[in-house]
Amino acid sequence: MEILKIGITGTVGAGKTTFVRSISEIDVVNTDRVASDETALMKATTTVAFDFGRLTLNSGQILHLYGTPGQFRFNFMWDILMPKVHGYVFLVDTSRPQDFRASRRLLNYMKQKTQSPLIVGLTHADSHKAWKSEDIALTLGLSNFVTKPPIIEVNATNSHSVAQCLILLVEQLIQQGINVV
Amino acid sequence: MVQSSVLQDSLQRFVSSTPDIQGAALVSPDGLPISSILSSDMDEERTAAMSAAILSLGERIGQELARGLVERIFVEGEKGYSILVSCGTEAVLLVLAGKAAKQGLLFLETKRLVAEIKPLLH
Ligand SMILES: Nc1nc2c(ncn2[C@@H]2O[C@H](COP(=O)(O)OP(=O)(O)OP(=O)(O)O)[C@@H](O)[C@H]2O)c(=O)[nH]1
Ligand SMILES: [Mg+2]
Repeated sequence: MEILKIGITGTVGAGKTTFVRSISEIDVVNTDRVASDETALMKATTTVAFDFGRLTLNSGQILHLYGTPGQFRFNFMWDILMPKVHGYVFLVDTSRPQDFRASRRLLNYMKQKTQSPLIVGLTHADSHKAWKSEDIALTLGLSNFVTKPPIIEVNATNSHSVAQCLILLVEQLIQQGINVV
Repeated sequence: MVQSSVLQDSLQRFVSSTPDIQGAALVSPDGLPISSILSSDMDEERTAAMSAAILSLGERIGQELARGLVERIFVEGEKGYSILVSCGTEAVLLVLAGKAAKQGLLFLETKRLVAEIKPLLH
């Protein structure tokens, strides 16, 4: 059985590192450093290379999880990681409409890098500022996709929620004929 | 942090006084440019981000594969060398050198520069 490489991407603070940490069965390779840009207004640290985690599913399938950095200056990491993924999760913080344009741009960038199936994961859906899923789909321009990717709420801090998201993605991969089992 | 012109002067002196050194950049650990002497075809922001990324991975290797504290990352290319060293918690130093550079001298001079810069950063 092949190892599936799964990308976890999205703009700064969307929850990529938290997502990988919540589910990985190994100590996550952590490359977070103290943030000195505008990220610091949001949180203390930011990813400068990638997060790496691993998850073995009940089926025995092994997932390698690669969390990307979020800032555009790290796009060389996107270029390295994304073309190799079998599928990816695109995280969007639903409580930060000021980042939606950046999300849309990032999503288009990723689409250039890989044709692999994706899932849009909506984080911070528990926030009172959270936008509705339909509105986010619209601002991201998801209707322009040949096949519109599934959109689900995911709480990156909750391992159960993260697992659900990954299982849905693996189902997508199977559906799209990627040799999973 | 000190005036960036002081740092810029240090880097400038280092690059012009050390044989075969072609450039130097000081960047924050999260990959933002602080000060640099680079040829005009190198993008300062990309260079800064790449420097931070590779140092973070090198430090992970030192830690996870029990190599201890990482002194430097040394990338040897066909046309020259790139050296990355940590300047404490505040910065990362990148040094670019030509193939003719003597490694021992390169490391020594880099160390000296770090010692000069570190106190300026606090
Ligand atoms: N309440 C709530 N908090 C969340 C949720 N998802 C993520 N978070 C929090 O949001 C923050 C996300 O931070 P990171 O995981 O570092 O974000 P990142 O995407 O890796 O950011 P960069 O590496 O800087 O691009 C963390 O503080 C999480 O605890 C969610 O669904 N609900
Ligand atoms: Mg991160």
